[in-house]
Amino acid sequence: MRCDVVIIGGGLAGLTAALELQRAGRRCVVVAGGMSLHETPRAAFIAAGGVFLRGDFVKRGEWKGSRLLRVWTRNLGSEPIEAKDFILATGRFFSKGLASTMDEIYEPIFGCDVRYDKDRSAWVNTDFFGPQPFEEFGVETDGCGHAMIHGVAAENLYAAGEILCDRKDIEQSALAVCRNII
Amino acid sequence: MKEYDVLIIGGGITGVGIARDCAMRGLRTILVERQDLTNGATGRNHGLLHSGARYAVADPDSAAECIKENRILRRIAANCVEPTGGLFVTLPGDDVGYAGTLMKACHRAGIDAKEIDPAEAIRLEPALNKSAVGAIKVPDASIDPFRLATANAVDARLHGATILTYHEVVQLLRENGSIVGARLRQLDSGEMVTVRAAVTVNAAGVWGQKIAGMADVPLTLLPSKGSLLIFGHRVAKMTLNRCRKPASADILVPGDVVSVLGTTSSKVSIEECDNIRVTSAEVDELLQEGCALAPILAQTRVLRAYAGVRPLYSASNDPTGRSVSRGITIIDHELSDGLHGFITATGGKLTTYRLMAEQVSDMVCQKLKIRRRCRTADKPLPGSEKDFFPAEGNLSRKAAAMRHGTRSSQMDFDSKSEVLCGCEHVTRAEIAYAVKNLDVHNLVELRRRTRVGMGTCQGSFCMGKVATALAEELGRPEDADRLVAQYVQERWKGIAPVCWGESLREAEYMRKLYRK
Repeated sequence: MRCDVVIIGGGLAGLTAALELQRAGRRCVVVAGGMSLHETPRAAFIAAGGVFLRGDFVKRGEWKGSRLLRVWTRNLGSEPIEAKDFILATGRFFSKGLASTMDEIYEPIFGCDVRYDKDRSAWVNTDFFGPQPFEEFGVETDGCGHAMIHGVAAENLYAAGEILCDRKDIEQSALAVCRNII
Repeated sequence: MKEYDVLIIGGGITGVGIARDCAMRGLRTILVERQDLTNGATGRNHGLLHSGARYAVADPDSAAECIKENRILRRIAANCVEPTGGLFVTLPGDDVGYAGTLMKACHRAGIDAKEIDPAEAIRLEPALNKSAVGAIKVPDASIDPFRLATANAVDARLHGATILTYHEVVQLLRENGSIVGARLRQLDSGEMVTVRAAVTVNAAGVWGQKIAGMADVPLTLLPSKGSLLIFGHRVAKMTLNRCRKPASADILVPGDVVSVLGTTSSKVSIEECDNIRVTSAEVDELLQEGCALAPILAQTRVLRAYAGVRPLYSASNDPTGRSVSRGITIIDHELSDGLHGFITATGGKLTTYRLMAEQVSDMVCQKLKIRRRCRTADKPLPGSEKDFFPAEGNLSRKAAAMRHGTRSSQMDFDSKSEVLCGCEHVTRAEIAYAVKNLDVHNLVELRRRTRVGMGTCQGSFCMGKVATALAEELGRPEDADRLVAQYVQERWKGIAPVCWGESLREAEYMRKLYRK
């Protein structure tokens, strides 16, 4: 399969980006594992010709230098999706955009750089209702929304939404990425 | 002002055990507790009914007490005990001679210990480390301390005792060299209450040192913190012990739907005891040692961590703590300090609480010059009078019978059948029963009485509807949000130290659900 932009994640950030890019004439594929609560934008995206792969997960990608060429998903098996640009909008821990063990927090698909405190006891605030440090952790990006991997900005992989390390407005962060792509 | 024969300070298992014993002997009995019942070490331990094997080598007297009480509790507290049996397992690197020493010591103490082939042990318990080189079977069991304490409190009341929770002792009354009662402050209202009693028993656990201070008598406790982990499955059917000199994290106890691993042991100051938290270092230590015993624990989700403080007693002339015993300590302050009407009960173990209560009650009776025999070993606790498990009936009735024994027949399953906590299968009927009979005012207390929210989801999915139901049963429907907030904050204390992997996922979800 081939398209302009693959959006990984069908939540608020992913769908905001998908609709915006669609309006700009881009052919988009959304890979949406897990729950999708945003029925109205999803229906609009599909009605306008978007491809929405519900219940599918990106397993891995192929890189040429710092350029992502294609990704493979669980359901499409050996058939990759090729695109010019990719947006990582898989959310935080609950939606599995970030994963953790006792010792580390990581981004499970591409191994993007995650900003977090190495001291596990600093991940949480003992006051449940106070600010929680783990909600500030996330993928690092350069000034243009490119995801960082091993300290190098990926050319065409952007990160948007809750997966970002500094808590930005979900929709605004998705729109900012779209502006960079368009 | 009311007059009593005996005032008991402390609503842990020791206090409620003494209250039951004294009330059964016909004494006018009052128990006062600063917080909720089981708020201290009673609610923060393994839930292990020791066979005595763990103490057999180093402390044969305690071991003999344990096995005797183990047999009694199986009889009188049947619905609190799960007869799991236990294994002591020797792993490579452990002193192989210890098994022989343990066998001899068990037989001397009257504990039915039996050596079995390690291959047989692994067949019985597939989660066990496959490289085990020796195994001994002992009559350990798991016991639910919340249920046990609640049943004692219920029975004390049935025998006329008064139990006041959320009443803090602020002053002991002294007249002519004798303690004659206490001034109490109700925690919420601040209202002051005076209670007069011929004998006062200090059973406040680690806080007993403060109570003794109010009586101006010396009492040196060595508070010892023990941290534990709860895993989200029963990884074993039996209790698993490491066959070596007692050390950290070498006991794994299955209980209800979870497994409990513990404990660490470290000295803490008395000031820390009110706000004790488990550290990351303790979690790491527990997991490392626990995985040696049952490697599957490395892949098992840790639900929460908690810590209790053992009220170990040290004779005041030994500040080093070398002579610290884990046996029962009962101090008649008339003999030690010339202060009449004041007794301190400390040390001891959950397994031997009844014996300790008997000895204290004997001393109380002696002071009152009353001769009445202890009957607590013969008379079953409420709920355990006869075979309590219904042959007929749906899961709701059976789950409630597991927790409340025969008393579950008082629950209105017909009109309140809705299951509100799916992990532990708690119905509205059980919640209504707990509100009416078991002193429940909030979700934290409801959890201790019914296990609501103690399962895999830790209340994440059910607490909204449970809170609504509880608030309605309390007649204060507008309180539901406040109840949830209080509950979530309390749960978080146990989740925060083990917040990684699936627990971190769920924590984020809980935040989205419950943050205002």
